[in-house]
Amino acid sequence: MSILMVLAATLVGTVLSSVLSVLPGLHAYNVLGLLIMLILWVQSLGTAVPPDLYLPFMVGMIVGWAMLNTIPAVLLGAPDESALFTVLPGQKYLMTGRGYEGTLITAVGGLAGVFFLVGIVGPCAPRVLPVLQDVMRPHMHWLLWVVITYMVMAEWPKGGTTGRHGWAKFFDAWTSLGAGLATFLLSGLFGFIILYRPVVSVDVAFQNIMPAFVGLFALPWCLLNIFSAAQIPKQFIARTLDIDGDVILRSVGAGGLGGGFAAFFPVITGGIGGMLAGHATAQRDERVFIMSQGVSKMVYYVGAFLFLFVPGMNLTRGGAAWMVQALYNPTGYGDYYMILGSIAIAGGVSFLMMPLLARATIALIGRFNYRHVSTVALAIIVALVFAVVGWSGLFVMVVGAGIGLIPVLFGSRRLNCLGVLLLPIACNMSGFGTTIAQRLGLL
Amino acid sequence: MKGISHFITGVAAASCFPWTVAAAQAGSPLYFVLGAVFGLLPDTLDFKFYRFFYKHDLYVQPDPANPDPQPIADAMARGIEMARTEARDVRIKLSTIRLGADYWQQYVIKFDPVAGEVRVKFGPCVNTGQVPVPGTIPKHPRIGVARLAGPIDQTYDAVTSVDIFDGPSFSFEPDAQGRVAVHFLPWHRTWSHSLITGAALGLLGAAIWGWRAGLIIPVAFSAHVMEDQLGHMGSNLFWPITRRRFSGLKRMHATDARPNFLTVWTCLLLIFWNLYRFAPNPLYHLSLWDVVFYGGVLPLGLFGLASHLLTRGKAAETVVIDVSKEESDAMMA
Repeated sequence: MSILMVLAATLVGTVLSSVLSVLPGLHAYNVLGLLIMLILWVQSLGTAVPPDLYLPFMVGMIVGWAMLNTIPAVLLGAPDESALFTVLPGQKYLMTGRGYEGTLITAVGGLAGVFFLVGIVGPCAPRVLPVLQDVMRPHMHWLLWVVITYMVMAEWPKGGTTGRHGWAKFFDAWTSLGAGLATFLLSGLFGFIILYRPVVSVDVAFQNIMPAFVGLFALPWCLLNIFSAAQIPKQFIARTLDIDGDVILRSVGAGGLGGGFAAFFPVITGGIGGMLAGHATAQRDERVFIMSQGVSKMVYYVGAFLFLFVPGMNLTRGGAAWMVQALYNPTGYGDYYMILGSIAIAGGVSFLMMPLLARATIALIGRFNYRHVSTVALAIIVALVFAVVGWSGLFVMVVGAGIGLIPVLFGSRRLNCLGVLLLPIACNMSGFGTTIAQRLGLL
Repeated sequence: MKGISHFITGVAAASCFPWTVAAAQAGSPLYFVLGAVFGLLPDTLDFKFYRFFYKHDLYVQPDPANPDPQPIADAMARGIEMARTEARDVRIKLSTIRLGADYWQQYVIKFDPVAGEVRVKFGPCVNTGQVPVPGTIPKHPRIGVARLAGPIDQTYDAVTSVDIFDGPSFSFEPDAQGRVAVHFLPWHRTWSHSLITGAALGLLGAAIWGWRAGLIIPVAFSAHVMEDQLGHMGSNLFWPITRRRFSGLKRMHATDARPNFLTVWTCLLLIFWNLYRFAPNPLYHLSLWDVVFYGGVLPLGLFGLASHLLTRGKAAETVVIDVSKEESDAMMA
């Protein structure tokens, strides 16, 4: 009975998540937050909800979302933060009529990520990760600063390629770099404000960052699509993908490293994992790049949740793990194997959902003007933010969009928007966050 | 090497000093951040600052509307002739040819010292990921050839590919024997990659942050320079004592995936080992052998085995322009 319950819950969670993932702007964590509130309410009425029911359901939700949120990123141009690096190569595929192929390659990466988690991380984690955790525990704060340093230093100038030497050339090159730095600092300031003066109500406090992320990452892309009035060529449904085992292996190497790093260390998000995966990948092969992003996203989201269940570790990373702790504390290998089994099943099912939903979305964008599709996507995003966090959330989203448009307009790296999390939390972990908040008049 | 490899090498170098780990345990990220910054700084100085102020004698800006390889070849030959006749360094800057938001016309430049020629050949249009767009090789003219005024000495790769973002520079330096040395990217790996610059920055760092930082800075900086010596171009290791770039060991190219990945992995293991051995009361007990075997030999060995099994029998993947093909290309010969 229990096995059937686990199987059924996994399947329902995966299918539901797969369908919801196509909606731009909606994050699996938003739905999980509402689910947790529902379970707590049911339990307050005296009805027990077995963990064998909601844990596999949650796994299905996370795996399905990590696999399929590529669709809004590539086909609708409305990425969340973790899919940020998939958008540009994905849109190249889209503009050459190969959007379907682009999404499927990322999905293969997601499936490879599932294999990596279940086949390699799963057996090794109980022995390796507690040792790693013990050694790294006092060192999390400087890792954040080192990641911030890399983000800032590793952005290279895109301008200044023509003309004679001199200041004009220098300023041309530094326009995008300066915009990147400004984006990072403004996002950091924005992060301090929403961290120390949250504008969302206490009831939905776990959704505090959602409108900021939507504004910083998804909204600028939608606006860009609407105003650039891009025409999407007829999309070709490929029968095979131009990939082989070596491409998959290299993607797993890069994506597993980037996603694993992001999953293990606090505040390091999927977007940073994607950046690391991208830098560790040979840039000349877009297939490896785009597939490694699929691996990284899957390893980040699902790995972070899995780590909560690793026996002897009890590591809480990622929004889903934090939320589930309100309901349940993992008890040992039984839970761990159940989660691993659910990941495997959900990975297979969500991979099979990808062609169906990608074809349906392609049919949608083929039937309607892409500008109209982007406008509808924008309307859905605004409606979702309003539904979850209300007017104050919309205000936060608009401010976030203002900052998120800077890199779009100046051609700098959009990941700089992650200053919203990195800067205030790194300052807090190093012990001077409160001082800065006081100086800013936030306390 | 790629930026991420240099960066993580700087962090690993900093972790070798006990005071770095002790400070981190006490809440200060300073020494790790210094290691990271100075591990990447030599390239930052070159690519974000110096190259925009580097003066060239000749600027070649091909016309995207009428791309023609012959003027490029002629300009290269003219630069060498100027170096010979005027007995001075002549620097030339080539621009890329942008065809659209994401498309670039690729071309390759090849010096042939035996035939005394420079050849420029137009390849396909590529996107910003340097992936060729099928069916975009131009019809005519594809190849420009110009005779060189005298013998040359090539100090870098025989073929240079020009495609995305910024184009390359060359400097032509005449010598007493009447030969002209051709240097690639003359603004790169000069003063910014000198061990003496690293030492000077160390002194500056010591004045600002104390002697411990003053030790970490030159070590992280020099680690970058030494890694670059594994490649082809080499660096000016002792600027300002000499103006000459010392030739690299030619063991790898900067963008080769395997050595970069190996460097990143090795550095991560080294950081872990240093954090462990400087930890006051570790819960688990490890030997260096444990770390090397379970963290390095086993995973990398399995990865290497899998890679070998998946790629055996396949020709080495060509990267944009296959140089070996270029060498035997009848049109280029």
